[in-house]
Amino acid sequence: MDIGKMLTQLGSGMVISIEIFLLTLLFSLPLGLVLSFGRMSKNRIIKSAAKIYISIMRGTPLMLQLMVVYFGPYYIFGLKISAAYRFTAVIIGFALNYAAYFAEIYRSGIESMPVGQYEACKVLGYSKIQTFGKIILPQVVKRILPPITNEVITLVKDTSLAMVIAVSEMFTTAKAIAAAQTTMVPFVVAAIFYYIFNLLVALVMEYIEKKLNYYH
Amino acid sequence: MNLLEINHMKKGFDGLGVIEDISLTVKEGEVVSIIGPSGSGKSTLLRCATMLETMDDGELIYLNEKAAWSEADINGSHSVYASKADLKRIHKHFGLVFQNFNLFPHYSVLKNIIDAPMSVDKVSKKEAIARADKLLKQLGLEDKRDAYPCQLSGGQQQRVSIARALALQPKILFFDEPTSALDPELTGEVLRVIKELAAENMTMIIVTHEMQFAKELSDRIIFMEQGLIQEQGTPEELFSSSNERVNEFIGKF
Repeated sequence: MDIGKMLTQLGSGMVISIEIFLLTLLFSLPLGLVLSFGRMSKNRIIKSAAKIYISIMRGTPLMLQLMVVYFGPYYIFGLKISAAYRFTAVIIGFALNYAAYFAEIYRSGIESMPVGQYEACKVLGYSKIQTFGKIILPQVVKRILPPITNEVITLVKDTSLAMVIAVSEMFTTAKAIAAAQTTMVPFVVAAIFYYIFNLLVALVMEYIEKKLNYYH
Repeated sequence: MNLLEINHMKKGFDGLGVIEDISLTVKEGEVVSIIGPSGSGKSTLLRCATMLETMDDGELIYLNEKAAWSEADINGSHSVYASKADLKRIHKHFGLVFQNFNLFPHYSVLKNIIDAPMSVDKVSKKEAIARADKLLKQLGLEDKRDAYPCQLSGGQQQRVSIARALALQPKILFFDEPTSALDPELTGEVLRVIKELAAENMTMIIVTHEMQFAKELSDRIIFMEQGLIQEQGTPEELFSSSNERVNEFIGKF
């Protein structure tokens, strides 16, 4: 196998990895916010449910969760699962898992906001939605950016876990080629790919942090 | 006309009475200072009057509109608040200036002042900016228009927060120890602004530790202790009071 063909195959794996990454963020960031509201709810049932959910999602391996999401419909409900469901299952599994981590990050940010900001909003007549959307959330985003960056970088590397349900993302492909061609090259390419991907993530996050540095 | 009327306000935290029974009426144009030792309930009174806290019992009336009234129950009586829509309207009658400013750090000075009029009162951007510029000029902050709160001194921040409250054109303005977070040098500039507002007949209720200031500015001074109004009157009356506790307290300053 020539290097060009190998890179083409790895390239289509990379696209899948990037898709998993982007779709996971797209769903888990808002879902995490909703979950953090549940976690901070005054309703005891909602609060406990959110707490238990977060505890399970953080306390069990993501790899296992992916398998449950993929095989669950068959084993539990006897539904026939198609190969096309693989990718969907990966996105569902990742989004559900990362939402739990993001929820706790949001919560830490929201709870660290001084009560005076809420009181100022109340006296000025802002509605609850205005208070949160205009005053609280923008400040929370600035506060939680460093832990969010950590999670996002972990996510880049975690995309390789999609391998367990045979989604042909970057790492699945690299492993297959390495085994078939008895060569280390695909692993080297994979390493470089993940490294550069994360370098870009770090750069983007640093840029956003700098943008938000106009106040403290 | 009475802008504010409080009748038999009571408020406790965890069974501990902070405000025992307070009644207070404030007329249009009046400047009332509230003094008293820490823990006397004066901040709680202000927080209940501005509805940051709900009182346990009593009546709260702004411009003859009842925000809360007392209703009998098996244990005696308790406060019942008006509907959300009514409270929203009543809220527009007053503003509050906090001890530690509580400006929005991510907004520029201008945005801090124009945002509430625009998003709460639906004032046009042009009108909101016109109001803000007038206030900034009046408070000597024109050159800080585009600065962020973190770039300002404490005194400047407090003046911005006064401007922010005034931009909503309240009928009555509350101050919760407006100079307590400032060093003496910066205190003066904030007190000067409050004096100017008094000269323009702004109705104000000021919780303060600045005795000299309260004396110069107020139409009436209220001395609070143990959740009750112990003595009230014009500055002359209060500073020549025969009440031993009042003299002791004033003498300390």
